[in-house]
Amino acid sequence: MTLTGKENARDGEPLVLCLDTSTAVLAASVCRGGEALAARQSHAERNHAVRVVSDLKALLLEAGAQEIDAIAVGRGPGSYTGVRIGVSAAKTLAWAWDKPLVGLSSLEVLAMGAGPYLRGEKPASDDIAGAAGRPVWVVPIMDARRGQVYGARFETTDGADWRRLDDDGIRLVGEWGRSLAERAGEAGALLLFAGDIGPHAEAIGALPGAAALQLTMDAGEMGRLAAARLARGQVEDVHAFAPNYTQLTEAEVKLGGAGTEGQA
Amino acid sequence: MTIADQKDGGLLLAIETSCDETSAAVVRGGREVLSNIVSSQIETHRRFGGVVPEIASRKHVESITMIVQEALSEAGVSRRDIDAIAVTQGPGLIGALLVGVVAAKALALALDVPLIGTHHIAGHIYANRLVGEIVYPALALVVSGGHTELVLLPEEGVFRIVGRTRDDAVGEAYDKVARALAFPYPGGPHVDKLARESGEEVVLPRAWLEEGSYDFSFSGLKSAVLAEINRTKMKGLDPSFGGLARGFQNSVVDVVTTKAMRAAAEFGARQLLLCGGVAANQGIRERLAALCREAGLPMLVPPMSLCSDNAAMIGAAADLKWRRGQFSTLDLAAAAQVSLEEWSVTDNVRNVL
Ligand SMILES: [Zn+2]
Repeated sequence: MTLTGKENARDGEPLVLCLDTSTAVLAASVCRGGEALAARQSHAERNHAVRVVSDLKALLLEAGAQEIDAIAVGRGPGSYTGVRIGVSAAKTLAWAWDKPLVGLSSLEVLAMGAGPYLRGEKPASDDIAGAAGRPVWVVPIMDARRGQVYGARFETTDGADWRRLDDDGIRLVGEWGRSLAERAGEAGALLLFAGDIGPHAEAIGALPGAAALQLTMDAGEMGRLAAARLARGQVEDVHAFAPNYTQLTEAEVKLGGAGTEGQA
Repeated sequence: MTIADQKDGGLLLAIETSCDETSAAVVRGGREVLSNIVSSQIETHRRFGGVVPEIASRKHVESITMIVQEALSEAGVSRRDIDAIAVTQGPGLIGALLVGVVAAKALALALDVPLIGTHHIAGHIYANRLVGEIVYPALALVVSGGHTELVLLPEEGVFRIVGRTRDDAVGEAYDKVARALAFPYPGGPHVDKLARESGEEVVLPRAWLEEGSYDFSFSGLKSAVLAEINRTKMKGLDPSFGGLARGFQNSVVDVVTTKAMRAAAEFGARQLLLCGGVAANQGIRERLAALCREAGLPMLVPPMSLCSDNAAMIGAAADLKWRRGQFSTLDLAAAAQVSLEEWSVTDNVRNVL
């Protein structure tokens, strides 16, 4: 698909091709600012590499996008292979089209999926609805096995404005959850775990005052995040752009924590 | 009309990421290499004593677009000049292949040009077409760190596997023996050198396998080297590393070249193609050249830069499909194992044009 024409940034809002492949869901969208013109979620973990480019092509056609203004991608954490697929596709497209690339935390994208519930656009459970007016700590989680999760923490009061409180990292859900629950209680905030709840439902259920929202990765909110980054000029160096794995490889750990760039 | 583009000497951008080299090349008309950038990760993997797949994949992502851009710059062409994209589909390390395949598909979409998924071994074989004319039927001896195969090409673009290793690839056996002889990774070239310099030889067995077989087996030979080292040490003596290197090399060279020459004769090959990273091995190269001279069989071997993994060879092989209009879809899947025979061209060029 050749993108020609110069109708970018109609209505002053950038047209962004959004993609996240860090989880079992291949999530993609074409957004104009906060509005998703076309979006899809394919549930085929083993097929991300097969489907990713044809899915993007179909989305561009569906959205009638002649020329996009930027590409946004979830850079992880999540499945190493999955994240590489999204990042490889996104940086190559950005380079080939000569468009800015916005790298987003996949956990932040996942957390933003709670936005429509907090804003009352999607039906929410009583705990979430009852939190209106109070700060909500949204804790996006992805299962990382052995009782661990990839997680982060964001604070919002209206589901539209967000503030990051904790960096992306890999954590033991039990310990981390207890400390979060304690601090949320002191801060008067609702502690809301969002994402891959299933494997950790028991651990979360044992935390006083914690709520859970089962979410799969959705690119519908990515445009909102990407537009904000673009407006602030926060774009990536396309060639150097790489996933955020949050962890060294096993081989590096065994060798004593040397980075992939080598020590010598 | 993409087939017409090719006839006019169209530009193919090729990508190869099957193992630990990130490579991109621009090839005109399937024969002329305008650029062939290879970014080796060998320094990264050396301290792990071998290629770590996860690290190889990470490195590919970090360098892919830069390498592609360098290939275009060195060729003196722009993105818009590219007429088709070729990429190694397999075989190789799946995580590493995925990066190249996804990038290639993204390029095919962005530049609106056809995509050609290409077999890595076909690439090694057709590296020869970048240096000479291939005469059919031809017999190819593919020797590398991951492969040891005898492939018959009855006609252009058609592959028939005549023999293959049943265990280790030649290059793998060399690296394992190198480790036993205390050489750092990758040690194959050290063993080759030591073997040629050594004044003595510890004679080791040859694995001919069953009568008439063109298959190979090198794990027994590697074990024989290890056993000999242990036996000598048990006697409180120092093993002769030079003698072992020479004995190992002679066994490998004997079996590989004898089988290649026998297959060439049986299948009426008019040319012998030596290729793959281990084609740099002087022992194999010299003996095969001598045997071919004796038999009056022309032998082709690409220069070193085209023997080890590189994208230009992928472009050379992809050209077979481009000329026949046989393209891949954007749903092309990378695969750790892909059949070379099934990758053969399915149609004669005359039927298409
Ligand atoms: Zn190879």
